[in-house]
Amino acid sequence: MTDQARLERGYRRLLACYPRAFRRDSGPEILAVLMAAAPPGRRRPGLAEAADLIGSGLRMRLRPGVPQSARTVRAAVRLMYAGAALPTAYLIIVLAYLGVHGMQAVRWPHRASLTAAQVSEHKAVIIMVVTVTLLIMTALWLWMARANGRGRNWARILSTVLFGLTTLNLTSVFGPPGFRIGVGGPGASGIFSVLMWLVGLAALWLLWRPASSAYFRPPGFTEAGHSAQPSSRT
Amino acid sequence: MILTALASGSQHGYGIITDVQEISGGLLRLRPGTLYTALDRLRTDELIEADREEIVDGRLRRYYRLTPAGASRLGAEAARLQAHASAALTRLDLAGGTAT
Repeated sequence: MTDQARLERGYRRLLACYPRAFRRDSGPEILAVLMAAAPPGRRRPGLAEAADLIGSGLRMRLRPGVPQSARTVRAAVRLMYAGAALPTAYLIIVLAYLGVHGMQAVRWPHRASLTAAQVSEHKAVIIMVVTVTLLIMTALWLWMARANGRGRNWARILSTVLFGLTTLNLTSVFGPPGFRIGVGGPGASGIFSVLMWLVGLAALWLLWRPASSAYFRPPGFTEAGHSAQPSSRT
Repeated sequence: MILTALASGSQHGYGIITDVQEISGGLLRLRPGTLYTALDRLRTDELIEADREEIVDGRLRRYYRLTPAGASRLGAEAARLQAHASAALTRLDLAGGTAT
């Protein structure tokens, strides 16, 4: 294998950090620029080049990718990414709380009828359930952010349904004591739930604004004054 | 800076890198990863668009150009910077004539 071929293979591997659709559209072009910019005799990508490609690729994967003309959708997508950070932050708080206070921090419906040994037995299960639940919440926020950013109308509808479930969850947080499993005082999960509900409400309000609706119309839909179209990148 | 590089006509990726370096007096050297992330954002925001493509030495070369919105944005930004610079020079001049 020649030095050029080895270098090109190294660049191709790094370009895998970019979203697939972007690679399909611009990969050969970036590769041409990388090869043209490489000093003679280089056999593999430099450290700074590799860091630049990895960082840029990851940034592109996380960026909303919504045109400036669709400001309301862009803001909604940003809020959804902020929403995704909430369950993760809460998970860290929960795990730290459990570390300090142990299973005494756990609240659940039949807590009073369990012995200390029984509570201890359930420790791993409870930690797993709480962790998986919060990770699923994070994944849902990220999924909805990406899908809405791509202008998928089903995502806007599904986001609305999920917000309905969040609202139901909120009512249970402030429901009768001992109604649900929780960690820490009722205040901690209450603040978390209210914050998540508020972020969801703001994102949903933005998604259903008339200015956003143009972005969610199917390709080919034409209407005077309608310019915002989903990005083709994703 | 990328919009400035495209102000005089369409350019391909490597051309933009060398042009930006020249415009900045050698201070700024865009790396390809950074450049294409910025180009993608500018395309998404409809400030630039693909002009044409050609194959050179078996490799794809795509040229980009400013859209009317991109030209307008660049003009507004240049005017803002010019106003800022003028204000600074005027104040320096008033303060003791050091700016002349």
